[in-house]
Parts: sequence; structure tokens; C-alpha cells
Amino acid sequence: MFRTTLRAASPIASRAISRPLVAKSAFIGASKFVAPIRFYTAAPVDKKEITSRVIDVIKAFDKTAASSEVTGQTYFHKDLGLDSLDTVELLVAIEEEFDIEIPDKVADDLKSVGETVDYIASNPEAN
Amino acid sequence: MAKRLSGLQKEVIHLYRGCIRVAHTKPRPNQPHFVSYIREEFGKYKGLPKKDFTAIEHLLRVGHKRKDLYSQPELKDIH
Amino acid sequence: MNGLVKQRVAGGILRRGLATASQTPRLKTFKIYRWNPDKPAEKPRLQSFQVDLDDCGPMVLDALLKIKDQQDSSLTLRRSCREGICGSCAMNIGGRNTLACLCKIDQDHKKETKIYPLPHMYIIKDLVPDLTNFYQQYKSIQPYLQRSTFPADGKEVLQSVADRKKLDGLYECILCACCSTACPSYWWNQEQYLGPAVLMQAYRWLVDSRDQAGAIRKNMLQNSMSLYRCHTIMNCTRTCPKGLNPGLAIAEIKKAIATD
Repeated sequence: MFRTTLRAASPIASRAISRPLVAKSAFIGASKFVAPIRFYTAAPVDKKEITSRVIDVIKAFDKTAASSEVTGQTYFHKDLGLDSLDTVELLVAIEEEFDIEIPDKVADDLKSVGETVDYIASNPEAN
Repeated sequence: MAKRLSGLQKEVIHLYRGCIRVAHTKPRPNQPHFVSYIREEFGKYKGLPKKDFTAIEHLLRVGHKRKDLYSQPELKDIH
Repeated sequence: MNGLVKQRVAGGILRRGLATASQTPRLKTFKIYRWNPDKPAEKPRLQSFQVDLDDCGPMVLDALLKIKDQQDSSLTLRRSCREGICGSCAMNIGGRNTLACLCKIDQDHKKETKIYPLPHMYIIKDLVPDLTNFYQQYKSIQPYLQRSTFPADGKEVLQSVADRKKLDGLYECILCACCSTACPSYWWNQEQYLGPAVLMQAYRWLVDSRDQAGAIRKNMLQNSMSLYRCHTIMNCTRTCPKGLNPGLAIAEIKKAIATD
């Protein structure tokens, strides 16, 4: 009777030992795949490129004065003199550039070049 | 920018965004026509007091309707 | 003899002409709701017009068209058949939703008559309401015959006299929206509640012996909003300018679903 319980317990024990092994290997596998993706979305180089592309779009926009200097700290309203509707147009132009659609809720709160760049950098669909 | 937009103002902004997006679906050479039309139509009521809810709500309804109409792909240009 | 008749006729005309000319014109005041979408910041207002009842047709529509022709061409209203079959000129006259072409002018010229568009509807201009939602709701009940099988001879689907009789009092509806816009439930829940006019048409297709989509139709109404917002207020039946009974039709639908 004791034997049978032991025998019954042994496969469970062996499974319990093997489980962490499986989990570990799965973890390694996952980190292998996850790492490059994380690197891709948060790459500092990308952010610089996004900023320059955003600035290009802003400069091409007909309502921004040609003389105004645009940097990451530039505010659409304060620095560029754009009203709320102009900002909408600008953001749609930026959407086109990166082939994304910024949801209304997010777009309402984008007030500067920096905020826009941050959002685009966090959007995996941007390209 | 300290000023916060009211719900109604946001709705206007959302409509404007929708309209501009529609303009971008049109043939490229005609897109400026649509954009200038949208600016003109919204500009007409720039002076409307923001407390005039009934008028703004009415204009929003009219605007949404016209946007739906102009969204049809058969409609390619505007003057 | 012949000359005598002529004389009498001429005298009659003369006398009648004199009689009207000697009387003061019976001027009746119509107060009409005005609102112009081109100036959305201006509030809607009531504008008074005076019409001589002796120089006007008997119906409210006659007065409205006379005002539009002779006093203010910018007065805007829908009208078409002028005999109560198109349903275009539905409006609120003296507090009741009805068709202007079927509503007689109150001949007491000292009382004024107020004319408003259908209540609780978005207004396009003056007396013209926006019926887009109403028509969309009508479309949503699929108001057409649905069958999976058709007669082998390729001819029409037959119906017994008794079955045809079930459609009486339903098919006459001209969708003027008088009843729906008289219903408080419809006022508060226009987006979801279908309203008496549309529900009566839903019933019209439900009881049609030739239609085979009854189960689907009933299923579409099986929710808290579409049908069950009817609380038998019966304004619909009271106001219907065609004398129909949408309230009864809605009750019949409820019965049909309950006894399923």
C-alpha cells in the first residue's frame, strides 16, 4: 500500500522538478524575442529621426511662419501661433507622414513637438 | 496653454479632424480645395459665442451630415 | 324670358359682390414658428401673419401658401399633394400634430392660430423637421415582403380575403410622423425607441400572411427599447390625421410576442 503511494507520488515529483526547467527555457526564449522589439520601439536613434520628420512636416505646413524655428520644445499654440483647428490639421498631416491614426483622446492633449514625438515613438504601428 | 476646452469645443475639434481626414482621402491635387473649403466653412462661425449651445449643436449636426455626404468616394473635387 | 334670367344672374353677382365689399375683411392672425439655419445664432421666434379668411381656401395649408405667395416668400414648409395622401405637410397646428392640408382653419377670426413644426424634432428650417432618424428607423424594420419560397407558377403570392382584411387600418399609414412626434416616449428616447408609426408598420409586415420572416421580425423587437418603451399613452391614436390606431397595433405586437 505504501509502495503504491510512493510510486504514485514519484511521477508528480519528477514533473515538479522538470517544470522550473521548462519555465526557464521558455523565459529565455521569450526574452530572446522580446528584447529586439523593445529595442526597436524605444531606440534613441529613432526618436531623433521622428523629431526631424515631424519638424519637416511642420515646416511644410502652410500655416506655420517660414521663419519660425522648430525644436523638440516648440509648442504649437504658444510658439507657432497655431489655433486649435490649425493644430488638428498639423496633427493629421503628421499622422499621414507616419501612417498612423492618433485617437481623438490622445490628439486633444498633444500640444508640443516633444509630446507628439513621444506618442509616435510609443506607437508600434508608426513607420 | 492653460485654457481647457469644453466638451462641446472638443466635439467641434473632433469634427474638424474628421473632415480633414476625409479631405486627405481625396485625389491629391484636389486636397487643397477640400481643406480650404473646410477652413472656410468652420471660419464662418468663428465669432459664435461658446455659450451658444443650441447654435453650436445644430452646426455640429449639419457638419456631421455634410461630412458623411462628402465622404463618398465618388465625390472627387470641390470648388 | 331669357333676358329676365340674365338680369337675375347679373343682379345676384352684383349683390354678392357688394355684400363682401361692404363687410370688413375677416383678418385672422397666424403665429408661425420661424428659424433660419443661415443665422444659427438667432433664436427661433413666432412671427404673426394676417390672412383675410374670405379670400383664402378653407384649410391651414391654403393660408400658409397664401402667406408664402403674398407676404413672405422665405416661409419654408414641406407640402406636396394638398389632399392628405403624401404626408409632407405634417406640423403642429393649434397644439395638435396634423396635416396642414387636412386641417380646417378655425373660422373664428378673432382667435389666433399658432403653427409650429413637429415637436421634439431637429429643425432644418421654419416648419421643416429633420426626419432622417425617423426614416432610418423605418428602414431598420425591413418594410418589405420576405419569403424563402415562391409560387411555382411564377405568379403573385395569393392571400385570402380574411388575411387581406388584417392589413386594413395598417397599410393606409402615410408615414407623416405625426404620431411618433406626439409620443412622449419617443421624445425622450428617439434614438432607440422605434415610435408608433414605425412599430405599426412592423406589425403590418408581421401580420401579412404572405411574409415568412415573422420570427426574425419579432426577434428584432425583443429588447427593452425598440418596442417596450410604449407605455400606452395613446397620443399616437388621438393625433393620427388618417384616423388610424398605432396604439392598438403596438398592443397586438406585444400580445403576439407574449403568446409566442
